[in-house]
Amino acid sequence: MDTNKFLFFFKDMQTSSYALQLVEVEKQFGDVRAVDNVSLEVKKGEFFALLGPSGSGKTTLLRIIAGLESAGKGSVFIGGKNVTKNPPYARGIGMVFQDFLLFPHKTVGENIAFPLKMKKMSATHQQEQLSWVLDLVRMKGYEDRFPNQLSGGQKQRVALARGLVARPDILLLDEPLANLDRELRKEMEVEMRRFQAEIDIPFVYVTHNQEEALTLSNRIAVMKDGHFEQVGDKLELYDEPATAFVASFLGLNNTISGEVLRQENDFSFIDWKGIELKIPTPNGIKPGDRIAYYLRSEKMHINPHGKSNPVDGSITLTAVLRDIIFKGQYSDYFVILDNDEEMVISDVPDIESLKIGGKVDVSWLPSSGFSFAADGEE
Amino acid sequence: MAVKQFLHSKDLKALALSLPGALFIIFFLFIPLATIVVYSFWRTESYTMIADWNLNNYLTILTTKTYLTFLFRSLSMSLAVSFISLIYSWPVAYYIAKYGGRYRLILTMLTAAPFFTGILLRVTAMQQILGPIGVVNMFLSNIGLKPLHLLMYSHYATGLGLIYLWIPFMVLAIYLSLLTFDFKLLDAAMINGASPLRAFWEVTLPLNWIGTCIGLALVFIPTFAATITPKFLGGVNGALYGNILAHQFGSTGTWALGSAMGVLMFTISSLFVFIVFKTVNLNRSGYTGKIAGE
Ligand SMILES: Nc1ncnc2c1ncn2[C@@H]1O[C@H](COP(=O)(O)OP(=O)(O)OP(=O)(O)O)[C@@H](O)[C@H]1O
Ligand SMILES: [Mg+2]
Repeated sequence: MDTNKFLFFFKDMQTSSYALQLVEVEKQFGDVRAVDNVSLEVKKGEFFALLGPSGSGKTTLLRIIAGLESAGKGSVFIGGKNVTKNPPYARGIGMVFQDFLLFPHKTVGENIAFPLKMKKMSATHQQEQLSWVLDLVRMKGYEDRFPNQLSGGQKQRVALARGLVARPDILLLDEPLANLDRELRKEMEVEMRRFQAEIDIPFVYVTHNQEEALTLSNRIAVMKDGHFEQVGDKLELYDEPATAFVASFLGLNNTISGEVLRQENDFSFIDWKGIELKIPTPNGIKPGDRIAYYLRSEKMHINPHGKSNPVDGSITLTAVLRDIIFKGQYSDYFVILDNDEEMVISDVPDIESLKIGGKVDVSWLPSSGFSFAADGEE
Repeated sequence: MAVKQFLHSKDLKALALSLPGALFIIFFLFIPLATIVVYSFWRTESYTMIADWNLNNYLTILTTKTYLTFLFRSLSMSLAVSFISLIYSWPVAYYIAKYGGRYRLILTMLTAAPFFTGILLRVTAMQQILGPIGVVNMFLSNIGLKPLHLLMYSHYATGLGLIYLWIPFMVLAIYLSLLTFDFKLLDAAMINGASPLRAFWEVTLPLNWIGTCIGLALVFIPTFAATITPKFLGGVNGALYGNILAHQFGSTGTWALGSAMGVLMFTISSLFVFIVFKTVNLNRSGYTGKIAGE
């Protein structure tokens, strides 16, 4: 066998071990590059989240995978097959839309069985599958209702059931929980994980809600302006963000920026509006450069003034407590520092000694934040 | 008691609100129709109506071969014209609704543009195109071909004329229906395995069926009653039911027979509309989806 052929063969083998593979996919709408050179592999059985702000191209990318939008460039592989040229009805995928898109003139049962009917599955087989999926989404007994007789959460379940019933190679979900209220969203998040674990079909889940992405998925791709900023395990993204954008997008952050005054070992000292702060030095930064520093609120501590007992190497600043938002196991404390800047700290609730308007000490370890070269003036 | 009074006042309000509509229907639909129904059981003699109640007019129509032939002809013509209009209007309306963008309104108005000129002018224009010295046949003879007799003073010419006349209604009815249609449902259908044709059949058509039925009724009814178009385009042998009906009110002066023919026309049209709307299942029209009584 000549090497070239062998390589192709090998590449094919590699491809087929993924549920979904995108190779250098691109999409242009007029002057907007909605999707910019995106490559991606989703493994079988994986819960993959596509996270990004509004307009970052998430929906467009999902529609390209689905075949509802043609890729200007690049290829799409599903279950190892190149489906770039296939229409949506010949790709073996399921999809759940943000606005559900249930057929209003069909009953719940007919809506869910629609993909089976299109596959010309026998009536008995259809019944079997329908009954299985109704059990899964806990919608037994609702078969004969019409979509407008369902609550938002029920519609959501029906939409999910329709996406799953034909056991697609992959299920695409475009902000499926965005139209539900907070309460229901929490409940459905749990359900969503349960479905996915039970049926072992890979999910590609689009959201602009970082909390949702972190709760649900195994891996996350953070998208911005049509390209991937970072792809990886969710903990990796959370603990080692590769770019300033990823660092700012995940978690509740305090953003600090300033010019480097001097450097010592691996640390730089910046001027943050009159306060000198010690910050890890990003690659290639010299005195005079600007740095952006992202500090997660939960990595910080708050204590009444003079009562702090910080760990070695911590920075401690004094501030005035402006507001407390009680969140249950922790509270968000909003403080004003001496330079009039605001910070938020998530720490254990301490109603006894922390009073609004009182003086407090705020402390953190410099290495617990992420620093990057700041692009331009803030 | 209080509840009863409340209901009472609500009933009154409903009555007051429906009064203008009811009066309109009574004066402009019910009374003329009732008059014709009454006349249809009378008799005409030397241009006067004689009120001796009988069924002879109906018997005459239903036993005279000529009348039956005309009736059958008009019925076939109306069905054919409605069907062809339906097939033609769907893609036009669909295209305008989906791709018309900001020109949608203008495009829709354009389909109705010929209406601004009135029926007679439009039919005359058709004559200029289809007739023996019309554009089509002139062109054919100029390039040395035989003129198309099919298009000259024939039922085909009448049919074409009628389609041309009434198709704007069908396009408009379907277009208006499509305006409220969520085209994204087709994405959902395709993702779930439906080809575009199948998606049309499973989703687009059922959800726009009421509009389509309205279009069918709007084309069928005037076609069934057509008089001017067959007269101008159909030629000597092109008369339809409407023409002989009109004839009864003209020179022959047999108004009673004419009335009976009118009642029959109205009945058949109503029956057509009834059958067409029988196919509408409100639960499945996408309009309410409510189960009756719930
Ligand atoms: N059909 C289209 N025609 C022109 N531009 C489009 C089209 N669809 C999307 N875009 C543009 O492409 C970019 C990405 O849009 P997309 O809908 O993929 O974003 P998104 O990440 O899904 O945002 P959101 O979170 O708001 O849903 C946007 O700038 C949008 O305006
Ligand atoms: Mg979107």
